[in-house]
Amino acid sequence: MNFLLARRRLPGRGLVLFAVALALAGLAPLAAPLRAADDLPSLWKERVKSVVAVEFYTETELDRRPSVVFGLVVDNAGTIILQPGVINPRAQPSQLKDFRVHLPGRPSTEFGQAEYLGQDALSNWQFIRVEEKLRPQLTPITAFAAGTPVEPAMAENVWGIGLRDKDEDFQPYLLSSTVALVQSLPERTAVALSEVAGPGLPVFNHSGTFLGLAIAGFGSSYVEYSRTEQRGNPVMLMNVDESRVFTLAGDITPWFTRVPASVNGRPITSLGIYGVQPMDPEVAAFLKLDNQSGCVVSEVLEGGPAEAAGLKPRDIIVAINNQPLPRLKPDRVAVDFLDREISRRLPGDKLALTVLRGNDRVELTATLAEEPRLAREADRKYFEKLGFTVREFVFEDAVVRHIKRAEQRGVIANFVKANSPVSAAGLRPDDWILEVDGTAVATYAEALAKLAAIEADTGRSEFVMLVSRNGETAVERVKLK
Amino acid sequence: MRPVPFPAARRAAACLGLLWVLLLVPAAARASVSRGFTRLLDAVVRIDVRETSFESGGQRFSAAIGSGVILSDDGLILTNAHVVNPHAVQVSVTLANLERVSATLVGWDHWTDLALLRLDLAELKRRGLTFTHADLGDSDALSPGDPVYAVGTPYGLTRTVTRGIISNNRRFFSNDDGVDGYETGAFNNWLQTDAAINPGNSGGPLVTEDGRVVGINSRGYLGADNLAFAIPANVAKRVAAGLARDGAIIRSYLGLVFGPLQDLEGFYSLKQNTGVLVNSIDPGSPAAKAGLHGGDILLAINGSAVDGRFPEQLPPIQNVIASEPVGATVKLTVKRGDQKTDYSLVTEKLESHQGELWAFEKWGLTVRKVSRAYARENQLDSDTGMIVIGVQPGFPAAAAGLSRGDIITKINQEAVTSLEIPKLLHEAYAKHPAPTLVEASRNRLVSLYVLKP
Repeated sequence: MNFLLARRRLPGRGLVLFAVALALAGLAPLAAPLRAADDLPSLWKERVKSVVAVEFYTETELDRRPSVVFGLVVDNAGTIILQPGVINPRAQPSQLKDFRVHLPGRPSTEFGQAEYLGQDALSNWQFIRVEEKLRPQLTPITAFAAGTPVEPAMAENVWGIGLRDKDEDFQPYLLSSTVALVQSLPERTAVALSEVAGPGLPVFNHSGTFLGLAIAGFGSSYVEYSRTEQRGNPVMLMNVDESRVFTLAGDITPWFTRVPASVNGRPITSLGIYGVQPMDPEVAAFLKLDNQSGCVVSEVLEGGPAEAAGLKPRDIIVAINNQPLPRLKPDRVAVDFLDREISRRLPGDKLALTVLRGNDRVELTATLAEEPRLAREADRKYFEKLGFTVREFVFEDAVVRHIKRAEQRGVIANFVKANSPVSAAGLRPDDWILEVDGTAVATYAEALAKLAAIEADTGRSEFVMLVSRNGETAVERVKLK
Repeated sequence: MRPVPFPAARRAAACLGLLWVLLLVPAAARASVSRGFTRLLDAVVRIDVRETSFESGGQRFSAAIGSGVILSDDGLILTNAHVVNPHAVQVSVTLANLERVSATLVGWDHWTDLALLRLDLAELKRRGLTFTHADLGDSDALSPGDPVYAVGTPYGLTRTVTRGIISNNRRFFSNDDGVDGYETGAFNNWLQTDAAINPGNSGGPLVTEDGRVVGINSRGYLGADNLAFAIPANVAKRVAAGLARDGAIIRSYLGLVFGPLQDLEGFYSLKQNTGVLVNSIDPGSPAAKAGLHGGDILLAINGSAVDGRFPEQLPPIQNVIASEPVGATVKLTVKRGDQKTDYSLVTEKLESHQGELWAFEKWGLTVRKVSRAYARENQLDSDTGMIVIGVQPGFPAAAAGLSRGDIITKINQEAVTSLEIPKLLHEAYAKHPAPTLVEASRNRLVSLYVLKP
């Protein structure tokens, strides 16, 4: 507000600022976001040591995409967690480069290198570890956690940390607000009246106890009427630097120790079901599911634990280990609840399922398994002259294309360079390449060998691929000269 | 951009304010006053249609205006399938003498965008009305540059004649939902003309200077300057005869999707002008069962060589297969790599992907049955189910959360294998409204809904 006023050409700028300061002072007792009982400056000084700004690059075939995100220090070993959405889910760990950890307020030319540790399958957090030289200057958030988790009360005043941009040396600043709502999503989650921390940064109560972690992408958008667009069209603004929603410490503190054992985040536990859908209360009432919920399983994946246990497509899961699925709001949260129940177990664990099938109630026991190899783990190779990256065909490709395991073959076009020879021939990303030069491609290795030979052969003027898209095939002729 | 059918000026469009501009018109081409031409003008009619529409969650009516041409003394009229289709509830024909009489649909064929009507002869006799008919010419004799005239009722303006030339006599155009959601153009090429054709011209004739009908005007590029397409008269002759005889055109289907070879001969070691590329095989089709697959080259059908180098050569090849009787055995000579193999396939009846439409008024729900072709195209396991094409706000289906595009697979645990099942359940609901459980999928995700009174 000050800033806006100062930019206007008003007479007597000093006077205006003075007036603003006076007004703020006058308002202070009313707005009072913080009670003065505790010594905020010293709380602040300690707690700001648990937050960092993290820079990294995602390297693709053609470019390097820089990201700047916020991180939270969770232990004395330099482990830092980042929010799930900060890394493209299609990116391979090997594409993530040059993690740099900046301390808030320090010159941005100073930083510590960090190593990428992987994504945890339960919390979905991305884990990194900063080099030793920076660790003494960090304090893990656990140092401020309560012995028994505290949940903020309705209307309780809370405060958190925000970080400015790199050009301002990631200067930390204070945010504070009032708790308006606490809800299970399925983690206990608080919504504040206004922005309370940067996404991925902590929120505290007045005595400095860690209350929760601010999350991004939760209804913090604004509509404004543009002054630069013609006719004052409305523009949507989203505050990506601050959040007013935070998941509560009680549910997420146990996850701080879930450092992935491997960079690809394994183990990832799977039940082998696809398209789990929530139901609305009307349907639950119709099915006589009183004060609980159920989830419809759209498809049961071939060869997975659910299939082995006898689960059928369109079965309705109503209980796990004899605990009825809770009725959560909105309906969609029941699916997340089920996801968490699977993810927090390990491959090999047993899971008892109660399902409704037609008019019957069926009891099943599934033995959870390791998730089949994911697209982001699949091997790939970029053929620069041809202009595309081929990737190994993995189980999820079969699921998306609705084909049987036995029909698995070929490779996937993972990336297609614009106006390259293969692009001009009609190839698109995610196309499924079945044949090269008229002969079937059985394996990834076979595809690599064939394409490498084509790329190396400077005398080649063309080659042909049989490509499948949306269940239809087409022959694509690639002109090389 | 692709050519859109011109129906069918909607009535509202005909009421648009028209700007009257005085133009000095040079002497018209002499041919336009030939006896044949005058007679042709008397055979062109305006067609007003009221039809049932199902898009809004209930049964509604829509109205359209098109053109047509009388073909015979017994009152057969040729028009477009997108002007009059089986959902028409009332068809009125305005004759050249401005008298309006009723007509009925004899049959339609969306693949060629043609429909055949019959004038109500009893009404004509009772009212003492007479008409003349036009003659179909030979569209194969046309060359680019030949002068032609489009006659019809653009925006309802009766007996409008516009002049142009044949711009191309073998235009390839095929579209999977080009005629009210039905497929069109797979079995014929089109005449392209620059004679001005506007909405409402649809179904009217494209004629030569002597008044012979060489095409049926049907579609054009919106926003382009006079790029219009007509169905060649030689195609129309066959289709009209078939519709007059059987009320429908029955075609055969093997499930082959062709692509032009263009300059792929070298790759496949073929002589020039030999064979056609098989781009894709419909899953579950006779061709799939026989083991054909994408990348094969079809060399001959029943021993006759085929040549599909260019797109405009594909419809005639497709028509060879389509013209076989349903259930006939067709011998396909196919090249795969260096191997040449003969396959014997038994044809199935060709079906549209558009299924039967229905309105469930009490649920505020309109649907289209999943057809076998739709199930194949969309990789569904079977043709069980009906696709939601409309929901009426505030009615049970909309209140339950169903929306356009959902595929309803079960109602009260009964699989929707045919529309008869939901029709019975809806009847029961109408008599004794009670909560009804619906299972539907949206992009493969299955959800449950309750229709509540």
